[in-house]
Amino acid sequence: MTQSKTKRIIALVLAVMGVVLLVLGAVNLPKREAQVGQNILEKLRIRTLLDATGEGVVESYVAIAKKEATAAAKAAGGGMSAIREAVAKAEEETRAMYSSTSTDYSAIDTAALEVAVDGYAVALKAYEDERAATEQAYIAANYEATKAALEKEREEKIAAGQDVPEEMVVSVDMSGFTATEVMTALSAKADEAYAGVGEALKGIYPVMDDSALNTLKGTIANIVYQAGDDFTSQYDRYVQAGSNAALESKTAAFIVRYADDLIYGGVALLVAALAVLFSELLIAKLGIPRVIIGLFFILLCFLSLLYDLSLSTLLSNTIVRMGMNSIMVLAMVPGIQCGIALNLGLPIGLVAGLIGGLLTIELGIPGWGGFLFAIVVGVVIAAVAGWLYAQLLNRLKGEEMGVTTYVGFSIVSLMCIAWLVLPFKSLKLRWPLGTGLRNTIGLDSTNFRHILDDLLAFNIGGFTVPTGLILFMLLMCLLVWLFSRSKTGVAMQAVGNNPRFAEATGINVDKMRVIGTMLSTMLGAVGILVYSQSYGFMQLYTAPRQMGFIAASAILIGGASTTRCKISHVLIGTFLFQGVLTLGMPVANVLVPGSTISETLRILISNGIILYALTKSGGASRG
Amino acid sequence: MDKQKREFDLRSFARNNAVTIMFVVLCAICMAFSGQSIAYVIYELFGRLSRNAFIVLALIIPIVAGMGINFAITIGAMAAQISVLWVIEWGVGGVPGFLLAMAMTVPTAAFFGFLIGKLLNKMKGQEMIGGLILGYFANGLYQLLFLFIFGNLIPLKTPGLVIKGSTGVANTIDLTSGAGGGIKYALDGIWRTDFGTALYVVCALIAVIVIVLLALRKLNVRKGGITLAVLAACCLLYQIPAVAGLFSMVKVPVVTFGVVALLCLFNVAIMKTRLGQQFRAVGQNRVVANASGINVDHVRLIAIVISTVLAGWGQLIFVQNMGAFQTYGAHEQVGLYAGAAILVGGASIRKATNKQAILGCILFHLLFIVAPPAAKFLFGDAAIGEYFRVFISYGVIAMALVMHAWSGVQKKKKAYPGPEALDPTPGTRKGARVFFV
Repeated sequence: MTQSKTKRIIALVLAVMGVVLLVLGAVNLPKREAQVGQNILEKLRIRTLLDATGEGVVESYVAIAKKEATAAAKAAGGGMSAIREAVAKAEEETRAMYSSTSTDYSAIDTAALEVAVDGYAVALKAYEDERAATEQAYIAANYEATKAALEKEREEKIAAGQDVPEEMVVSVDMSGFTATEVMTALSAKADEAYAGVGEALKGIYPVMDDSALNTLKGTIANIVYQAGDDFTSQYDRYVQAGSNAALESKTAAFIVRYADDLIYGGVALLVAALAVLFSELLIAKLGIPRVIIGLFFILLCFLSLLYDLSLSTLLSNTIVRMGMNSIMVLAMVPGIQCGIALNLGLPIGLVAGLIGGLLTIELGIPGWGGFLFAIVVGVVIAAVAGWLYAQLLNRLKGEEMGVTTYVGFSIVSLMCIAWLVLPFKSLKLRWPLGTGLRNTIGLDSTNFRHILDDLLAFNIGGFTVPTGLILFMLLMCLLVWLFSRSKTGVAMQAVGNNPRFAEATGINVDKMRVIGTMLSTMLGAVGILVYSQSYGFMQLYTAPRQMGFIAASAILIGGASTTRCKISHVLIGTFLFQGVLTLGMPVANVLVPGSTISETLRILISNGIILYALTKSGGASRG
Repeated sequence: MDKQKREFDLRSFARNNAVTIMFVVLCAICMAFSGQSIAYVIYELFGRLSRNAFIVLALIIPIVAGMGINFAITIGAMAAQISVLWVIEWGVGGVPGFLLAMAMTVPTAAFFGFLIGKLLNKMKGQEMIGGLILGYFANGLYQLLFLFIFGNLIPLKTPGLVIKGSTGVANTIDLTSGAGGGIKYALDGIWRTDFGTALYVVCALIAVIVIVLLALRKLNVRKGGITLAVLAACCLLYQIPAVAGLFSMVKVPVVTFGVVALLCLFNVAIMKTRLGQQFRAVGQNRVVANASGINVDHVRLIAIVISTVLAGWGQLIFVQNMGAFQTYGAHEQVGLYAGAAILVGGASIRKATNKQAILGCILFHLLFIVAPPAAKFLFGDAAIGEYFRVFISYGVIAMALVMHAWSGVQKKKKAYPGPEALDPTPGTRKGARVFFV
C-alpha cells in the first residue's frame, strides 16, 4: 500500500516538474522569432561587433599615437634613441588606455549602428540565402553525373580486385559554379548596406578609415549573418565570443535559447511519470525486459533531441535497418510455432543464401534476374539442409536449443573452410593474391546492390524511403501469416503448443516439425540476401555466427517467448532492437567520443534478452 | 565363447570412445603430414598442457553435478584478468604478485559464480546454452568495465595499461610491465628443469608414496608392485638415447604441473566427501536427490562457484605462461576450447574424470599443434588448419550434445513406449527428462 503511495507521489512530482518545464518551454519558444528574441540577438550582435572592430580601432589609435610621439620628439630635438623611447611609451600608454576602456560600452551611443546593422543583416541574409539556393540547385543538377562517375570507378576497382570503402561519399566539384545576376545584384545591395555600417562605425570610432573597414568586412559579415542561421546558431556564436555581458537578463535569454530542450525534457518527465504510475500494469503486460528496452529507446530518442542530433534521420535509418533484418527475424516464427523453440541454427539457412548470392556474382547474372536466382538457389539449398537439420531435431525433442546452437556454429566453421577451397573464379569474390574468398564481398549495381531499397524509392524531407524493402518485408510477413492460417499452419502450431494433443488428434508431429524447420531455414536464406542487398556487402566466414542470436533476441524483444510468437512480435522487436542500436551509436558518441559502446550495448541487449527468455522457459522447480 | 565376448567388448569400447578414437586417428594423420619433428611437437605439447590442463580440470565438478559443461567458466577467466590488471597496476611482481592475483580471484570469481549459479538454477536442463549466452552477456559487462570504468573513472597509472588518445584499457596487457617486474613465469619459473630430472623426481615421489602405503598395508602388494615396475620401466626407457632425444627440448615447469596434480587430487578427494556424494546424487537425478533431503539448488550453486574459482586460477596459470594477453579476447574461447578438450578425452556431458580431462587436453592440443602445418602441406593454406580446429571444437561439442540428447530420448522411448512418450506436455518439456527417468 505504501509502495503504491510513494509511487503516486513520485509520479506526481515528475508530472509537475514536467508540466513546469513544458509550459516554460512553450511560452519561451515563440519568443525566438518575436521581438524579444530579436532584441536579445541585436544586443549580442552589436556587442560582438564592437568587440571585433574595437581591436582594429585600437591598432589605428596606436598608429596615430606613434606618429604624434615621433613628431613631438623630433620637434623637441631629441636623438634617435629618444624618439624610439617616446614611441614605445606612447604605444604602451595608448594600448593601456584603450584596452581598459574597451570593456566600457555603455558610454557608446549605438543607436545609429543598430539601425545600420539591422539593414545589413537583412541584405546579407537575402544574398546568402540566394547563394545557398543557387549552389544547391547546381549540386542537384550535377549530383547524378558525379555519382555515376564514382560508381563506375568503384565498379572498376572491384572488377580489378582492389578494395573499396564501404560508404560512398558523393561530393560535387564546385569549380564550375558561377554567380547569377540575381546574386550579383543582391551582393551589391549588401555592400551598400555595409557602407552604412561603416559610416555608423566611423561615428563611434573617429579613427576608423576605409582600409580598416575593408579588412574587417569578412569578420563583420560572419558575425552578422551566416548561411542557414537561426536563433540558436546565432545565440551560440555570440555567446561563444563572450558577448553575453551585454545582456541584462542572462537567464531569460538562456531559457529562450533552450526552450525546445525544455519542452523535450518536460515531455520526457511526463512519460516517466506515466511509466512510474502504470509500472505494474506495463510490467505485467510486457515483462520487465521489454519495458526496460522500450523506455531505453524512448530515452535515446529524447537524448538525440537534446543533443540536436537529427532524430528523423536516425528513425529513417532505423526503418532501413529494420527492413534489412526483418526477414531473418521472421525466420524465427515457423521455428517457434512448430515447437523447436528459437532456431539458433539459423546460420545454416544464412550460409545457403550466401551460396546463392555468390553463384549469382560468379555467373554474372545482373539485376532482378540475379537477385531472384540467388533467392531460388539459396532457398533450394536451404530446403535440403533444413530437411536434414529437421531429421536431427526430430530425434532430439526437448533438447533443441543447445544442439542447434552448436550445430549452427559447426556449420559456420565448416563453411569457413569451404570459402577457402570452393573453386569460385570471379575476381570480385576472390582475393587477388592468396587463396579463398574475400571476407566481405562488395556488391555493385551490376549485381543486386540496393535492388529492393531502390525499388520505388522516393525522397521525403531529404530522406530516401526504401519502399521496395518495406513492401518486401510486409509481403513476407503476410505470406508467413497466411501460412499460419492455412490448414498446415494451424496443424503446425498445434504441434508447437501441445505435441501430445496434436498427436492424439492424428497430426503427424514429426512431419509438422520438419515443415517448420525447413521454412525457418529457407526464410533465413532469403533473409541474408535481403540483408546483403541493403548493406551492399556479403559477409562470409565468421560473420553469420552471431546472426542467429541477433534474430532470436529481436523477436524476444518484440514479445515472443520460446513457445509462442506472432508476426507483430517480429515487427515490433526488430524496430525496437534496431532502433536502440541505431540511436545508441550517435548518442554514445556524444557522451563518450570515439567509443565502441554501441557494440557493447548490442552484446548486452541481445544476450540479456535470450537469457531472460531461457529463465522463463526453464523449470524453476527444485527437482 | 570367450572370443565372442572379447569381440563384443571391443565393439562397445569403440562405440563408447568414438570421439577419442577418431581424434587419435586424426592427430596421427595430421602428424604424418605436418612435417614437424616429434621432439618439437612434444616440446609444444608440454607447454600447452602446462597452461591449459588446469582450466579443463575445472569443468569436472559441474559435469558430475549434472549441469553439463560449464561454459560460464569464461566469467571465471574474466575475474582472473581483472585481478591481473590490478596486480600489475599495483606493481606487485613475481611469486607474491601471482599469489595476490590468486587471492583476489577467489572472492571475485566466487561472487560471479554465485550469480551464475543463481541464474542457472532458473534454467535447469538448459544450463549449457544458458552458460554460453551468459558468457557472451558477461563479455558485454567486461567491455563496459575495461573500456569505460578502468582507465577512465578509475585512473590507471602504469604506463602501457592505457593508451593515450583512446578510451579504456589497452588491447594487450603485458605481464612483464609494472613496477614489480610483472608476473610472467611467476609460477613456471619457480623450478623449471629438463625432462629427465622431472621424470626422476616424479617417479621417486610416487615410489615413496607407494612404499609408505605398502608399509601401512593400505595398498595391496600386487598393485603396488605393478606401479613400482612401471615407474622403473619409465626411468629405464628414458635411458635409451633415442627416447631421451625426443624430450630433449622439453623444459618442465614442475610447480605448474604440481598444481595441476593437486587439482586432480582435489577432484578425487571432494568426491569422497559428503558434498561430493551430493554432487553425484544431484547429477544422477534431481528429483530423487530432492526427495532424499538434499538442497538441490544449493548443491548446484556450490558446484558452479568452485568451478568458476578454479577456472579463474586456470586462466592465471595460462596468462603467466603466455606473458601477455588480449584484454578483450583472451577469455572468449576459454569455455569452447576447454569444453571441447574434455569431450575429446571421452567425457560426456554427464560423466567426466581426471583421466579423461588430461587425455582430452593432450589430444585436443596435439591437434592444435599439428593441424595448421598439415593443412598447409595438404592444401597450401595454414588458415584451413585454423578454421579446421575451430570447426572440430564446435563439432565435438555438437556431437556430444547430439549423442547425449539421443541417448536420453532413446531411454525415454524404451521406458514409455507409445505416443505419450514421444513428447511431454509443453509446460514440463524442458524438465521432462527427470520426470520420465
